[in-house]
Amino acid sequence: MEAKLFEQDGVTILQVTGEINISTSPDLRKVFEKNAGKKLVVDLAKVNYIDSSGLATLVEMLKKMKSQGGSLGLAGMSEKVKSLFEITKLDKLFLVYNTQAEAVSRAK
Amino acid sequence: MKEDSIKKEFLVPSDLSLVQKFSADVLSFLGPLKLDGGIVFDVKLCLEEALINAMKYGHKLQKELKVRLGVEYNEREVRISIEDQGEGFDPGKLVCCTESANLLKSRGRGVHLIRQLMDEVYYNKKGNAILMVKRLKREAGNRS
Repeated sequence: MEAKLFEQDGVTILQVTGEINISTSPDLRKVFEKNAGKKLVVDLAKVNYIDSSGLATLVEMLKKMKSQGGSLGLAGMSEKVKSLFEITKLDKLFLVYNTQAEAVSRAK
Repeated sequence: MKEDSIKKEFLVPSDLSLVQKFSADVLSFLGPLKLDGGIVFDVKLCLEEALINAMKYGHKLQKELKVRLGVEYNEREVRISIEDQGEGFDPGKLVCCTESANLLKSRGRGVHLIRQLMDEVYYNKKGNAILMVKRLKREAGNRS
């Protein structure tokens, strides 16, 4: 798993590549903690696998952003990854966008 | 499962860093089935979730305790059994992770995903062993 932070139009983007699983979730959390922005988009377009610890990590990130008065959107999920959010009803919790560009545009 | 099935068993130390290795070994064992990506995803996810639960909650991550992981397949289905040496749990008492009040909580999603993604899920009475069955969706005409 690789994760990198960058900024675009005042919105921080956390771009993740690979698997978010029980081994890689702590690394994702560490990169997230470097974020100081209030508006965050997590780009999951290059994520091919996520397990329940990955889902829990994203929930923790959402809780932290909201507690700081910020926002967190998810972008670019594959159909399979998106289906896990639907099965767990987490799609009701997150702002979900088809593309990073759409998520950034809404977050601005 | 019928006589035409192929079986393999693994004994997995309760070390979370080994989950991906054994998961990859199981998927490699299933290689001859040439499963489509969606089924591979479901099998991998449910196998890893059940293995992690056995290591964390069954064995409290005591590496010397081994989880028994069984895999069996034929052209119709894949069966995965996972058994730990712990006290077991009552799956009926798990909180429902999809209720609004529980959405922000961390626990319970693994078991929920297993129930949703597998075609059949059974626990033994003690609650320390799970059997998961994934049926392979093939056209009737392709079966001989």
